[in-house]
Amino acid sequence: MRVTQGCFSFLPDLTDADIRTQVQYCIDKGWAVNIEFTDDPHPRNTYWEMWSLPAFDVKDAAPIMLELDACRKVHGGRKYIRLSGFDSTHGWESVRISFLVGRPQEEPGFILTRNEGGGQAIQYTLQARPLPGASA
Amino acid sequence: MAEPLTPVPAPGETAIDLHKELAETQVAEVLDELDRELVGLAPVKTRIREIAALLVVDRVRRRMGLTAETPTLHMSFTGNPGTGKTTVALRMAEILYKLGYIRRGHLVSVTRDDLVGQYIGHTAPKTKEVLKKAMGGVLFIDEAYYLYRPENERDYGQEAIEILLQVMENQRDDLVVIFAGYADRMDKFFRANPGFRSRIAHHIDFPDYTDAELMAIGEMMLKSLSYHFDAGGAAAFRDYIAARRKQPHFANARSIRNALDRMRMRQANRHFAHPGLVTLDDLTTITAEDVRASRVFNQDATKPD
Amino acid sequence: MNVLDKKSPPGGKRSRYAAGVMEYREMGYWQPDYEPKDTDILAVFRVTPQDGVDPIEAAAAVAGESSTATWTVVWTDRLTACEKYRAKCYRVDPVPNAPGSYFAFIAYDLDLFEPGSIANLSASIIGNVFGFKPLKALRLEDMRFPVAYVKTFQGPATGIVVERERLDKFGRPLLGATVKPKLGLSGRNYGRVVYEALKGGLDFTKDDENINSQPFMHWRDRFLYCMEAVAKAEAATGETKGTYLNVTAATMEDMYERADFAKQLGSVIVMIDLVVGYTAIQSMAKWARRNDVILHLHRAGHSTYTRQKAHGVSFRVIAKWMRLAGVDHIHAGTVVGKLEGDPNNVRGYYDICREDFNPVALEHGIFFDQHWASLNKLMPVASGGIHAGQMHQLIDLLGEDCVLQFGGGTIGHPMGIAAGATANRVALEAMIFARNAGRDLRAEGQQILEDAAKHCLPLRQALETWKDVTFNYTSTDTPDFVPTATPGF
Ligand SMILES: Nc1ncnc2c1ncn2[C@@H]1O[C@H](COP(=O)(O)OP(=O)(O)O)[C@@H](O)[C@H]1O
Ligand SMILES: [Mg+2]
Repeated sequence: MRVTQGCFSFLPDLTDADIRTQVQYCIDKGWAVNIEFTDDPHPRNTYWEMWSLPAFDVKDAAPIMLELDACRKVHGGRKYIRLSGFDSTHGWESVRISFLVGRPQEEPGFILTRNEGGGQAIQYTLQARPLPGASA
Repeated sequence: MAEPLTPVPAPGETAIDLHKELAETQVAEVLDELDRELVGLAPVKTRIREIAALLVVDRVRRRMGLTAETPTLHMSFTGNPGTGKTTVALRMAEILYKLGYIRRGHLVSVTRDDLVGQYIGHTAPKTKEVLKKAMGGVLFIDEAYYLYRPENERDYGQEAIEILLQVMENQRDDLVVIFAGYADRMDKFFRANPGFRSRIAHHIDFPDYTDAELMAIGEMMLKSLSYHFDAGGAAAFRDYIAARRKQPHFANARSIRNALDRMRMRQANRHFAHPGLVTLDDLTTITAEDVRASRVFNQDATKPD
Repeated sequence: MNVLDKKSPPGGKRSRYAAGVMEYREMGYWQPDYEPKDTDILAVFRVTPQDGVDPIEAAAAVAGESSTATWTVVWTDRLTACEKYRAKCYRVDPVPNAPGSYFAFIAYDLDLFEPGSIANLSASIIGNVFGFKPLKALRLEDMRFPVAYVKTFQGPATGIVVERERLDKFGRPLLGATVKPKLGLSGRNYGRVVYEALKGGLDFTKDDENINSQPFMHWRDRFLYCMEAVAKAEAATGETKGTYLNVTAATMEDMYERADFAKQLGSVIVMIDLVVGYTAIQSMAKWARRNDVILHLHRAGHSTYTRQKAHGVSFRVIAKWMRLAGVDHIHAGTVVGKLEGDPNNVRGYYDICREDFNPVALEHGIFFDQHWASLNKLMPVASGGIHAGQMHQLIDLLGEDCVLQFGGGTIGHPMGIAAGATANRVALEAMIFARNAGRDLRAEGQQILEDAAKHCLPLRQALETWKDVTFNYTSTDTPDFVPTATPGF
């Protein structure tokens, strides 16, 4: 399966030149760009691991591309990697864009568990299958 | 999907009008501004025009497919304090941006303290943080030789130097580094760290200003603040320049700026000391009294004021 | 009796509280020198007096009838601080290019209103006055609420920011579709549509306004099958998905029961119709905040009073009331779709929903500065007759903080619902990517769509199927002031 979280998962995987355009867009908006990775793509897993601190005060996409390269050297092809742009403007103070820039070579997907209680109602539990090769 | 840095050759393009090329980049405007707004510095201005010409031609050559390499653009600006190195570096950033050699055109100015950490493991992230901020623009390292302290074997400056060298080589598309400082110390620094020497394409030397130039600079600074000297004030300031130059810690145009700040303060206090109304003329004029009260004129002065 | 035709009695002014009838303008409802206070509630009405009725007197009558006046002088006024309670019409302007109609600006003292109650507000402002005989027609165009009053309302239960955080979806419009056919699907068949659409790439599916609990599908069946579909689609995509379960019902007790069941099944969102009434809407907004559920509002019925320019209530007023009342989503027009919506007016509605401050913008129909005092932002929903081929226009006009609902444009796809959903999602992502990369959507939109379609067969098919579908009819409700800049967000 293909996890379709983020802004651009329905497009062909982004090239570095593609990613650069989006990073520069964030910088030009005054947003801090953040690189995160995880081996648990559950949609409610909010806190992915941060690769480094969010990049405040940069003017150009180059330093983020360098960090992304460094992150990929460690996690590329094994974990999910995403970029996000954080807007500290009053009234937002939140993520304004987020998109995947790395996936495990094989995406094992999720297990959906149905817990039947009384009656017809079902409690659903979603769980990500462990990624191959990722340490637990 | 990113824009190529240089335009694609127009089909059938054989002869090129370099002047038109220059006009399109609007670099000429920056060069003219440099001429107008900076007093003196003739050799520096000539060098900058030469570098700009080289870069325009290089741009055309890349477009014509004659070369593909990003040229090395790192520079060293040597000269005494207050000779205009920082000011020119700002203009250089603008020129490089207009010619498409850097993507953003900003300048990040740092000294050793911004790059080197206090404890183990502190320097690399600190240096990298600065480099990240400068990417897309120019990193200006003032008094770069303080990075190198051979007397201390464990000095963290060495770590910063290594990261700098690496980025200067590998990220030539991403930033231009300008080193600035005294000529002699810079020379020693480069001799001890040959890695820098080979990565620096342009050396520009900033001469000290003559007394007449400093006078012109002073008048220009006053004008931009809506002040002027009266005849006595101008004569006194000429004397001031001659005297100040002989004293310690003389810093060319910077000493002029500082002196003018203090003279404006004395002018204000003079007005308060004399009861009565002030005119527009009073408010804009610096007189001999404001200048000559300086300790520079005091024979016994050991410190400049 | 025709009060407004009466001229002042001969022999000069008579005493204010003498028994009998008297012109409204004489009774203090017309005060051209009045300077509205920061704490006043302001309203602007479009007044069309009957032939022969003086516009100032008509405007004063609107002020009177929407505040303290009745048709005759009452001595009991003298038991009150009646100067304060009287609404004051302080300005009357002719409507540009519309002989016979006037904009009447009226100020209401804050003490005339109960805190935090849309029912009280609307009963005051639009309670009786719209049937007043001396007027041919009357329309409430816009209102300004003082910050002190705004602060008495909860505002959107969730708001755009937290909705996005909860859904983990940022930087692009959300995509939805209304399940079709509107009526007749069984719960089991209905859930199939939901599953296909969500799996194919939509974020939301939606019940239609009149899907409640009918013989062909009782509400519990719908909820059960829909949530099976949602859970399965989440597992297939790794994304949070939602379906707006319509909890509109006959009584508040029924609505709470349905909403509680939706929450118990894990739904992130429920939905109500505007026809449930302002009080029920506010109750549900409080429920939604208490229960961490997003509240979608379908503006069912609004066109009966918002569409005609001469009479009724402008949708911008309804949008303001709903932001105060506390819903999280509101249908606010598409510009390019099948339903009424002038581009400039729609721009005004979107600004009301999403901005923290609305400056006067007559060309967008906004008559007053409005501070929203950090009330949450309300997500506008564009729905009705839109399709993937208009994606560039939609994003250019509406921006990214909205929900785009492609009902027919998803379910009517020749290759099926999931393909329709995929087509919309690909078009959307390609357009956002291109916009961020600095491309000009108006000039290059078509090209961007075609390029995206090269790697997406369903999008190719969608573009082919709907390439000529547009709804270019003149709007009945347009701003009265010429735009100073080109429309667009
Ligand atoms: N040629 C010049 N004309 C006018 N002002 C000058 C000139 N050179 C330097 N200045 C002014 O003198 C001050 C110090 O210059 P700066 O560029 O910081 O010198 P440096 O970097 O060599 O120490 C600045 O305020 C600058 O504007
Ligand atoms: Mg300097």
